[in-house]
Amino acid sequence: MEKLVLKNITKQFGSDTNLVTALDDINFTAEDGQLTLILGPSGSGKSTLLTILGGLQRPSQGQVAINGQNIDQLSTKEADQFRLDHIGFVLQSYNLVPYLNVKDQFTLVDQVKPKGNVTAQKFESYLNTLGITKLINKFPTELSGGQTQRVAIARALYTNPDFILADEPTAALDSSRVEEVGQLFKNIAVQEDKAVVVVTHDLRLRAYADRIYQLVDGKISLEEI
Amino acid sequence: MIFILSALAFGLSRENTTAVEAWHTNSVVMSKDADGNLSQSLLTADDLADYAVNQDQAQVALTPGIMKGAGLREGVMFVGINADDLVSRSITLTKGHLSQNSDELVVSDKLRQKGFKLGQTVELGINNQNFKIVGFAKDAEYNIAPVAYGDIKEWSNVKGVSNRFVASGVVSKKTLVAKSDQVKAYSKAQFLNKMPGYSAQNSTFLFMIVFLIVISVIVVTIFLYILTIQKVENFAVLRAQGIPSRYLALNTLSQTVIIMVSAVALSVILALLVSLVIPTQVPMYFDIPLILLTGLGLVVMGTLGSLIPMGIIARIDPVTVIGG
Ligand SMILES: Nc1ncnc2c1ncn2[C@@H]1O[C@H](COP(=O)(O)OP(=O)(O)OP(=O)(O)O)[C@@H](O)[C@H]1O
Ligand SMILES: [Mg+2]
Repeated sequence: MEKLVLKNITKQFGSDTNLVTALDDINFTAEDGQLTLILGPSGSGKSTLLTILGGLQRPSQGQVAINGQNIDQLSTKEADQFRLDHIGFVLQSYNLVPYLNVKDQFTLVDQVKPKGNVTAQKFESYLNTLGITKLINKFPTELSGGQTQRVAIARALYTNPDFILADEPTAALDSSRVEEVGQLFKNIAVQEDKAVVVVTHDLRLRAYADRIYQLVDGKISLEEI
Repeated sequence: MIFILSALAFGLSRENTTAVEAWHTNSVVMSKDADGNLSQSLLTADDLADYAVNQDQAQVALTPGIMKGAGLREGVMFVGINADDLVSRSITLTKGHLSQNSDELVVSDKLRQKGFKLGQTVELGINNQNFKIVGFAKDAEYNIAPVAYGDIKEWSNVKGVSNRFVASGVVSKKTLVAKSDQVKAYSKAQFLNKMPGYSAQNSTFLFMIVFLIVISVIVVTIFLYILTIQKVENFAVLRAQGIPSRYLALNTLSQTVIIMVSAVALSVILALLVSLVIPTQVPMYFDIPLILLTGLGLVVMGTLGSLIPMGIIARIDPVTVIGG
């Protein structure tokens, strides 16, 4: 069953002489049970594509359908609720809230979404895989770049989302961590039947992907594996 | 600051009126020519004939003067009164007893703080007449001067006017009307506003206090604005997670209210402490309803001030954090 579909998506910024076409007639599908990789150089439109997928931005043209429901015309409020219920974002600049400790980064969301988050047991296993169990009481300033990135990944998993959208989740990680994160995403996709979309220029993640797209200058192409 | 200033303002303003308040006056009759200034008013026995003297109504005879004794000199307001009427019954003694003879005075507590003593002989009035202090009373200030209550029959001597005049006015709990065209009746509010300097002084202070409140609101708004701007990125991350902006805004709002309330409480406490340190001659008065009102005003205004940062939060675009 297809889950996440982009149909003829175009996204343009600015107007007239400043017009930038970040995405040009994109057709894209991500299925649950699969890890979908979008590879592309800097400035190719990866982040833009991901924000449109997650309902953070509206496309200039085209449709975004999730489970057959169009989300591109949702109101801000509906889009908020939608993200809260269905989407886990790992942001490129893995922003943590500086005055909350690691544990509170996760549980803050309980205040607006008390139900449907992952069980403590399962979350514990995520923390274990990510190697951040011991960091739970630290504050973001006490974490290294790689640790921060892994906390951001855990935060995205906490709400037990149907879709995980990750923007460069491995940029700050060394090779062994990359393998673990790749494997974790792969496991979540396969074992929990979720659609995981990872946007990256990190070729090391290729090994875990079920489907790979190449994005160049806003144009996308499906790679045959 | 605001609380200290309003306490000062209120204390000063009270120095005009404590005596009038103590008398439970609701209306005042005096001579037309005095134009509302009771200490300038001169009434004859004929003028007074229309007004009874009883528990609800009294004749008063005012004149400013200098009280001298044992090297002390103080400006006072001599208030001549009759025995056992509205005014004499209203006197709250803190020491001594009420006058029994015409050469005895009951004076304001303020004069005791200045060094006057019970049983002391003092000179007062145009003719430097001798009086003896037999009692001290609280809440006895009239137009910033401490009051010296004496016998109404001595008034014309103290003031140095013909003894054709027997009093300056009639004060009453009831609403008085002018019974001849020589006299004029004033309500309490009209009367207080006619008191020299009273309304000017009050409006100056009111203006200063309002101004201070406005300034503190601006400061609070800027403070919150900066705080919010610093957090925009964090808020945007939370928005990307799907946490509604309403939740963030409400949280910020409730924290603002908490901060404002505790800040106001703290400043009230500070103001009270300052009032303990300030010398007693400086009139300060903490009026609880007034404090509550200004406090509430500050909290409400501060909260209104937080609406600007609130608007920023509402407009935060989560996309701003995701790119790069
Ligand atoms: N809000 C915006 N306004 C104007 N132009 C934008 C905006 N967001 C993105 N762009 C442009 O769109 C293009 C794609 O940007 P995008 O952030 O999607 O690239 P990216 O593939 O994520 O790059 P990187 O690997 O560096 O993160 C760039 O040319 C960028 O300048
Ligand atoms: Mg990017």
